[in-house]
Amino acid sequence: MNFSIMLDRSKCRGCTNCMKRCPTQAIRLINGKAYINVSKCIHCGECVKICPYNAYTPECIEWHDEMNNPAYKYKIAIPSTPMYGQFPKGTDICKVQNAILKLGFDYVYDVSWAADLVAKAIKKKIDSDKTTRPYIATNCPAAVRLIKSRYPSLMDNLIMLREPMEIAATLSREMARKKYNLKDEEIGVFYISPCPAKLLAVTNPIGDYEPSVDWVIPLNTIYGDLYREVIKANNNTCSYPSLEGIKWAVAGGQSKNAKLTNYLAVHGMENIIQILDEIENGRLSDVDYVEALACVQGCVGGSFNVVNPFIASNHINYISNSKQYESFNPDIDRFDEMYNSGVFDYMLRDEDNPMKLNIKEAIEKDEKIKEILSKLPGLDCGSCGAPTCLAHAEDIYDKKSLLSDCVVLRAKEKNQEE
Amino acid sequence: MNNRPLKRYSYRIIANDFMVAGKGSSSIKSNLKSLGIDATIIRRIAIISYEAEMNIVIHSFGGKIHCDIYENKIVLISEDTGPGIKDVDLAMTEGYSTATESVRELGFGAGMGLPNMKKYSDNFEITTGSEGTRITVTVYL
Repeated sequence: MNFSIMLDRSKCRGCTNCMKRCPTQAIRLINGKAYINVSKCIHCGECVKICPYNAYTPECIEWHDEMNNPAYKYKIAIPSTPMYGQFPKGTDICKVQNAILKLGFDYVYDVSWAADLVAKAIKKKIDSDKTTRPYIATNCPAAVRLIKSRYPSLMDNLIMLREPMEIAATLSREMARKKYNLKDEEIGVFYISPCPAKLLAVTNPIGDYEPSVDWVIPLNTIYGDLYREVIKANNNTCSYPSLEGIKWAVAGGQSKNAKLTNYLAVHGMENIIQILDEIENGRLSDVDYVEALACVQGCVGGSFNVVNPFIASNHINYISNSKQYESFNPDIDRFDEMYNSGVFDYMLRDEDNPMKLNIKEAIEKDEKIKEILSKLPGLDCGSCGAPTCLAHAEDIYDKKSLLSDCVVLRAKEKNQEE
Repeated sequence: MNNRPLKRYSYRIIANDFMVAGKGSSSIKSNLKSLGIDATIIRRIAIISYEAEMNIVIHSFGGKIHCDIYENKIVLISEDTGPGIKDVDLAMTEGYSTATESVRELGFGAGMGLPNMKKYSDNFEITTGSEGTRITVTVYL
């Protein structure tokens, strides 16, 4: 799997900020440097945002080479909705679209068009099934993975509709196949991403669908080139995005796009954890739809964005309400046909469902971990390289760490010797 | 089949002590959570054990709650030392309560305790007499 968050070890000072922040406790400090446990990482990007030394960087090298891959006769760019919020207010969105083409793409399919379609599917699914409440959004891959790892009982609440990125890739790919008589492998689909989680959704999806996106480009890695082209651009004609669809960039936007009234939009890792706890405790079943988005303000808060999320939200609202553009969507009439053929839906695979608990083993493990935990000081200081004493106890149980790694215990022993 | 539970968590519940009331059931909840038991099951056990705990606090002379874990089920046993329930059928009626006014002022005693315990369980047994009440509730995993 190609991994999208990399640590520059020369910059890492072992400060424990990322380790303490990680919502799935996937980070440990080993010999004073952070290590991410890939199997636990949900790609939320919290570590990227919190690191005071900017030691985490997006790493998707392949897309650069793939841009020049001769096998691709037709290259499609799918810009994410927050992208339009990354330029100074009033920047012509057509200049942005045309600048993307200048970077070497043949076509730009705006994700807002697919967003409109997915919004309709959300509305239809919510109206047709009144038993599952609340439905939880599935467009944030980090939130979905958080649910999978920490709230497995809520997997049944996921609305399980493919995200706009995927629908955009499917539709644009189909267009290129028909219009230019191309084979699938001759078409390269590149998603310009606001966050690391989208990469995980492409390389390692949850659900039984085949991803249509080929490569993910972190927005901040092409931002410089893009901005230069935007400044140079003089062509201000293009196919406009859907001014409703781009609202997905900001939390609450997809619910507005879907014309929902009884929804709850929660964003930011700590906040979604609180709301998921509430749902797990049986509350909030009077809410139709919960937009759980890992980043503050929603996708505009993704760690690959350039502009402050609140400022970007203002830009998105400005564009969405602008009289300068006419809302457009080339595929909106296809909704019924698509919905009926099941393009939006997916199912969970066996491996997506929580593992069956072996209660006997679980009790034995729990007792041993609690026994180890009783020896630890309970300060959760993080000096051993694990985020909490409990996590340290689990690491000791898994034979990944030693009791003597505890700095506090070592100090106590030393005092006694003296 | 071995009838001994794989694990037993026990809590002593003190009568009329509203300061710590609820601590037992929240301990049960966190213990089940650290075992990795399904959240839906935990939710049911939490409701049942909370109601059982409050019943002991409000109505009895004190008692104990045991949470027994088996391979395929969780059994919650609530036992107190009296004074017993006069009319069990009536006590099982939603909204019927013998709680005093002072207890109701604290927000308890709505008459939903026993009915809720039954509602969230797969099996519900109650024996009562002046020497005490014993309620055995089963939730299948």
